[in-house]
Amino acid sequence: MEFDSKFDIQIMDLIASGISGKFKKVKISGETNLQKELGIDSIGMLALVFRFEELFAIDMAKLGINVNIAKLKTVNDLIQAARDILSRAHAEGYSEAGLTGSKV
Amino acid sequence: MKIIDCHCHIASEEYIPLSFVEGSVANMAAALSAQGLPDRTKTLTAMFLNRMQDPLGDSLVLEMDAAGIAKSLLLIADFSYRLKDCKLTIEESFVRHREVLKRHPGRFEVFGGVDPRWGVDGISLFERSLTEFGFRGLKIYPPCGFSPSDPILFPYYELCAAHRVPVLAHIGPTSPVLDFSVSSPFLLDEAARRFPSVNFILAHGAVSFVEECVMMCRYRPNVYLDISGYQATLGYDPSATAVKQILSQGINHKVLFGTDFPVFRLQGEQKDFLQPLLRENGAMEELSEKEKSMVLHENVERLLENAVSVVAA
Repeated sequence: MEFDSKFDIQIMDLIASGISGKFKKVKISGETNLQKELGIDSIGMLALVFRFEELFAIDMAKLGINVNIAKLKTVNDLIQAARDILSRAHAEGYSEAGLTGSKV
Repeated sequence: MKIIDCHCHIASEEYIPLSFVEGSVANMAAALSAQGLPDRTKTLTAMFLNRMQDPLGDSLVLEMDAAGIAKSLLLIADFSYRLKDCKLTIEESFVRHREVLKRHPGRFEVFGGVDPRWGVDGISLFERSLTEFGFRGLKIYPPCGFSPSDPILFPYYELCAAHRVPVLAHIGPTSPVLDFSVSSPFLLDEAARRFPSVNFILAHGAVSFVEECVMMCRYRPNVYLDISGYQATLGYDPSATAVKQILSQGINHKVLFGTDFPVFRLQGEQKDFLQPLLRENGAMEELSEKEKSMVLHENVERLLENAVSVVAA
């Protein structure tokens, strides 16, 4: 499955939507640390994961995909995890409509 | 620098019952629901339980190695009297922990916990844990429904005095299936006064009832605190100010490093939790080398060194 730069921006927008307080001023790049620089705690990571599911209309539990959110340190880690999950979802036959995020 | 983690648990459903986990997950679900997300209780529970599959402590040892943690204290919290969905009896839990102790020589110490309402059998089991199993302390979990100064616990404290081992008491909130009303550090005061030769550790003293915990440590010679649970603050405060504040109170001879593994396993690994303390500008930066040593290992070593040593049989 191919991913373009729009996909990365989608994920960064998703991250930005969950940031609050003083962390909103941080400029997000691939190397930005999710917890240290953006203040995203474990609840925030879970919210991100579930919003990602909504955005792409997939159900990771049904797909048997288990994300270890403790391993996701940077924005790039999250983007890569998102790509891996969607590639697997695609292989499992999830619809393109869902994968392009058009349901949001 | 040598590091000893004074507050860990084995990550296994054998020791932490599903009802306890579900209670904790309910708080996460409430936070996510407030953000407009649908109910994901089942998914959250599955994610949490997925990180609780280390009954022999092998993954914990790997994380300790990666973090530079030489030794961890494994605490057995006895939920089996209060929560009826425990998979093991407390005696079976003790036996399994002894196996972990033998499997990883030199990497762990164990504090056995017994709900005092188990009566003489519980007292006997705790004594055996000190004389036969090689355990080095008592863990009490008041939110299961008893005060830490309830006379029912005095036989345990007498054993701790006789064997010169410390008591670690849970302080503050926990899973909502348990009682918070008996989690105040001041409830331990009478026990600390009646048993001056027993050292008491207030668990989570950097994040729960902080002012009271500091007061107890400052004015009761036999009361200490551990900082475990500070990871809960790292989301909104990545520089671990909670720890920095505790370390600026003039009680660093009473403060013990701890993580409460595996409670924060969804958030990171052991090395991730050391970083906010030890990095440049971290919470421990302003401490002298001696103070760092005390917090990271010397204080807990001092509490353990007088114990009557028994090799796990």
